[in-house]
Amino acid sequence: MKKVKIIAGISWAFLCLIMIIILFPGLNSFSVSVSKLPFMKLNPKYSGGEIAKQMITASCTLDIRKPVFNGFFKERNSGFVQLDWHGTIPETIKDSIDYDNDGNKDFCVLIDRKDSKTVLSPFNKKVKGVIISTPTSYGWAVRVGLDKN
Amino acid sequence: MDNVLEKTGMKKSFGKSLLYTLPMFLITFMFMTGGKPNFSDPASALAVLTVFLLVNVLYFFMHYTGKTDRYRAVLFIIFALSLSYTLIHNMLEVRKSMSFSQADILECKIPFCHLVIPMMILPAVFTKSIIFPGSIIGGFANISSMVVLWLIATIVLGRGFCSWGCFYGGWDDGFSRIRKKPVIKKISELWRWMPFAVLIMVALTSALALMPTYCSWICPFKAVTEFEQVTSVESATKAGIFLSLFGGLVIALPVMTRKRTQCSFLCPMGAVNTLANKITPFTVKIDKNSCNECFKCVEVCPLYALTPADIKAGKVSLFCSKCGKCVDACPKKAINYGIRGIPAGTMKNFSRNLFLFVSFLFMAIFSAGSIISTFHGLLKLIF
Amino acid sequence: MTDSFILGLSSGSACLATCGMVLFPYLMAGSAGVKKIVIDLSLFMFTRFLIYFVMATFAWYFGQALFSNAVVRNIVPGILYIVFAILLVWYSIDKNREKDCPVKIVKTVNNQRLVPILLGIVNSFGFCPALFIILTKSATQGTLLQSYLAFLAFFIGSSLWFLPLPLAGKMKKKEVLQNIGILATGLAGIIFMIKGITNLIGGIING
Repeated sequence: MKKVKIIAGISWAFLCLIMIIILFPGLNSFSVSVSKLPFMKLNPKYSGGEIAKQMITASCTLDIRKPVFNGFFKERNSGFVQLDWHGTIPETIKDSIDYDNDGNKDFCVLIDRKDSKTVLSPFNKKVKGVIISTPTSYGWAVRVGLDKN
Repeated sequence: MDNVLEKTGMKKSFGKSLLYTLPMFLITFMFMTGGKPNFSDPASALAVLTVFLLVNVLYFFMHYTGKTDRYRAVLFIIFALSLSYTLIHNMLEVRKSMSFSQADILECKIPFCHLVIPMMILPAVFTKSIIFPGSIIGGFANISSMVVLWLIATIVLGRGFCSWGCFYGGWDDGFSRIRKKPVIKKISELWRWMPFAVLIMVALTSALALMPTYCSWICPFKAVTEFEQVTSVESATKAGIFLSLFGGLVIALPVMTRKRTQCSFLCPMGAVNTLANKITPFTVKIDKNSCNECFKCVEVCPLYALTPADIKAGKVSLFCSKCGKCVDACPKKAINYGIRGIPAGTMKNFSRNLFLFVSFLFMAIFSAGSIISTFHGLLKLIF
Repeated sequence: MTDSFILGLSSGSACLATCGMVLFPYLMAGSAGVKKIVIDLSLFMFTRFLIYFVMATFAWYFGQALFSNAVVRNIVPGILYIVFAILLVWYSIDKNREKDCPVKIVKTVNNQRLVPILLGIVNSFGFCPALFIILTKSATQGTLLQSYLAFLAFFIGSSLWFLPLPLAGKMKKKEVLQNIGILATGLAGIIFMIKGITNLIGGIING
């Protein structure tokens, strides 16, 4: 039994040595494999959610993402909807948004990029206010706070 | 008496030490140069050569002198400093600031570090998603690579990761070496369990809030890496916490106690790695027949991993990070690196050689990138 | 919800820190067998759940009457948070904490069937700063449903510490769980102290 334990211990130690030696050359391929695991995707709270629809104008595109209410056990009562403007964005952005696809505009967002001022006019009582409004590497992004009910 | 110690010690002759360094020399050469040294940029070539020599000289001395901790600590501390330098330099160059903006969060550009891992497990299981604004694959410090690196290193080294792989540990390790004698000598053993309390708190609260709470509210190393822009009372409070914890647990207490207090009393990853000590093949063993219970090892252990009760029982606790300080300090050579299954006091040289090769190789390759880039940056600054 | 959950965690750990040695013999699996322990633990939990439900109702109604003024609503809870959080930290460092254990009363009860229910009652009403914080929080909630949800999260958080109890008999070192409990209590105290200070400063700045 003592000998078996010694052999098992040494074998495990050598296996670990091999793991360390192949870890760095194989890091890229291991990482790609890990990234394909089902849970390796960013929570919508961070990614902003899937793109629900796009509004394309002559110079820029507006992505309206799906509202995010993610919680640990169940959906939360408060969440947000993220809007992303890409392309050549005008100095002043003014867009009316129907985030829940019910055919009615839910809010209007007015952004003065020069002064970094954002004004939100809600037409729906579920719309709470601007959480984030910021320039990004691709243009401009806004997160608008929402109540679910 | 000295002859007996010499025989049982780990010192090797010059030639034998060189021979033991040869595999490290070849592997690190391959990793640092890709097999083809590039001399087109002299500063870059000099940086690679310096780091290559540094790593191999340190490893050689581990064999030649039979001492582990002091040579490990040199690379470990340089790693911590260089990583902070690289990160800060990168952020100042790209963002012109050490703080990250709302846009960086929205675009998921925050570098990922291993400390987030305990917080992402529950959400990954229950919501099948990662609660961190970083990049899953590709880009600087992506989530997948860090998970792979930490997972393998932790399986192999257990809590040894905290002394051979963690790029933050070098900070309090460094500060704990400043004074020759501690000002504070006695700290209750109860505090060793604090990382577990922190782990429970941060793992559960992160799951509920779907936010890495340790990173957002506690992590002392935000002070030397990156943090949220101060735009409100809340973000100012967070910045205050980061700076106080860094000042207290990473600088002041290590200086006063000569212990790694942040690693011992706060880090939730330390708790996870402590549990991983159950599976790693490498351990530290006490030879009860040689031990005279002088408790010198208890005194020098930087992580409160050894208590007089542990020594009397002839067992090193799970908190051990295999830094080698106790091994170096033992006047009777009764405490040594070991391999699970091999009885204490036997095959000591074999166990030490194998452990040092595995752990040092990991640290050398893991740290090389950031140390080379720091040296390169410094060389460019000087010349 | 998260705040309430942390409070629950700290309440459970505080309870474990003060009453662990009294609760263990009653609720952990020793010679009694796991089935009996699970039944006793379920009764204990159910009693606590019912009492928290009642508390949530009362706290919210009192809160509506007491915190009607907006300034009071911002500042008073901040101060209460800080006071109770300091008590929570004190609770974790007080070496005489075991003397404070209210559950000791149950030792005088002879009817073994009533013990888990009585333990649940005494445990829910027992002096604990975390309970006062959740009462304060519950009192300042907008709706009664939010008050119930806050107490539900508090209940879940506090219950987590009791779930390993049926296995505690098998644990070699029970004091490990107790030590972690004590430290988690202190940690929660610090978290709420910071939260209280942040709320208070935020409340003062924002009027």
